[in-house]
Amino acid sequence: MLEVSGLSAGYNGNNVVHDVSFHVNEGEAVMIIGSNGAGKTTLFRAISGLLVRSAGEVMFQGKAISGLPAHRIVRHGLGFVPAERHLFPRMTVEDHLYLGAYPKRPDPETMSIVLDLFPRLAERLRQRAGTLSGGEQQMLAVGRALMSQPRLLVLDEPTTGLAPKLAAEAYDALAMLRGRGLTVLVAEQQVPLAMALSDRGYVLENGVIRMEGSSAELAENPEVQRAYLGLV
Amino acid sequence: MRATIVDGLALGLRFGLLAAGLTLVYGLGGVLNLAYGQMAVVSAMVVLFGIDAGVGVLPAIGMGLVAGAVLGLIFDLTLLRPVYRRQGESRVLLSLLLSLGAAFMVDGYLSWRYPFRSLSIQIAGGPMNIVGVRLGRGVVVASGITIVVLALLFVLFRFTALGRAIRSVIEDEQGAQLVGISPRRMLRLMLILSGVLAAIVAVTQAMVRPVTVTTGFELTVFALIVTVVGGLGSFAGAFLGGLGLGIIWSFAASHIGNFLSLVILLGAAAITILIRPSGLLGVKE
Repeated sequence: MLEVSGLSAGYNGNNVVHDVSFHVNEGEAVMIIGSNGAGKTTLFRAISGLLVRSAGEVMFQGKAISGLPAHRIVRHGLGFVPAERHLFPRMTVEDHLYLGAYPKRPDPETMSIVLDLFPRLAERLRQRAGTLSGGEQQMLAVGRALMSQPRLLVLDEPTTGLAPKLAAEAYDALAMLRGRGLTVLVAEQQVPLAMALSDRGYVLENGVIRMEGSSAELAENPEVQRAYLGLV
Repeated sequence: MRATIVDGLALGLRFGLLAAGLTLVYGLGGVLNLAYGQMAVVSAMVVLFGIDAGVGVLPAIGMGLVAGAVLGLIFDLTLLRPVYRRQGESRVLLSLLLSLGAAFMVDGYLSWRYPFRSLSIQIAGGPMNIVGVRLGRGVVVASGITIVVLALLFVLFRFTALGRAIRSVIEDEQGAQLVGISPRRMLRLMLILSGVLAAIVAVTQAMVRPVTVTTGFELTVFALIVTVVGGLGSFAGAFLGGLGLGIIWSFAASHIGNFLSLVILLGAAAITILIRPSGLLGVKE
């Protein structure tokens, strides 16, 4: 479904990720794990079109999307939830959900799926995003992305700034979405959570893919255990 | 006293509309258009030539509004191209310099080619009594048009999908991109709208006093003052700032003296930004 080949990207001519290749099959959940500064955010920003890549190609559902601006990529069915969320602070929860469906009118069925998934949002439809708690803001960012009825949901560190309990809840919601057949690609530092969700994973270090394998294989790998799972 | 307030409100409404066109473009795209007043003047000249050519006042005004829209579009397609390649402060600065240059050129050309032309639109009929205050018919019609246009803008921004999309770009440009909105397209729309607003300002102004070929900078300066007081990028701020400054101007002119009213207006603006650097309703950076 998503095929990334030889992607390099960075800022001001300095590449942060180098020649990265990986793929996501339809119906899979795939994680990209790596420590702070490994290049996960740069990689995802380049895939979503927020950042112009310097080399490589991104194919999504058989079409080349690399080089398209972010607002066109969304309409191809790739929903992106950035780590900084990029909500609209002075607009209401309802505004966000309507905008998520832009330029169409929101699909009532999708709306009820989102509100069932995040009942907290349903209680706060008239509240401004800037006044929501961190957990609620994360729910809203995911909810907004879901309103566009994406085929693939890409999340950059969905647990950023969340207390452990809320981080676990965020992953419960993702697991539920997976159950509905949504394909998920997630970048994460909190590796145990991502591992429980994903079928496969890639390890990103210093901007290059160092390892790949099924989640079970990666969990067994001594290097992964030492660096990301806190085991000796 | 009552007359001063009513006069001030009438002036304030026009200030508010004037500032709306400037503040929305700034809020949306970080583009500060110092040729805004000249857009109004050129539209006024189109109306004038239309009337000269005998097409009738209303069709001529229609031509002026179209001219405003076209000017906004031309501005977007030509002068602003290099501006869009930059971000943040460097974008604001370049847009300011380029539009100032364009403003000088337009101003220079108009004052050389048509030095004594000005647009006045006479509204038939004598003064009217509004809440016990005698107002010229032109002021009443101009205020009526301004109120209607401001109300339409408000409805557009609050209650339509397009308005929601525009607000989202003002709030967070990357967030807007992630829901499938092209900030570039929204900005182009906004520039066209701001050209139309400039033309409406010129027409309503011409109902009250003549719009001369050199009115451009004065309009831009007033728009800037109102915008800064109201808060850059805030439509409601432009409205409030406009009304407030209109009333201050009117009081200063009737109780202190016309010659000092500009000084007092600038003083009030300076005090507002000293107390609230982001303006009355501006977004804190």
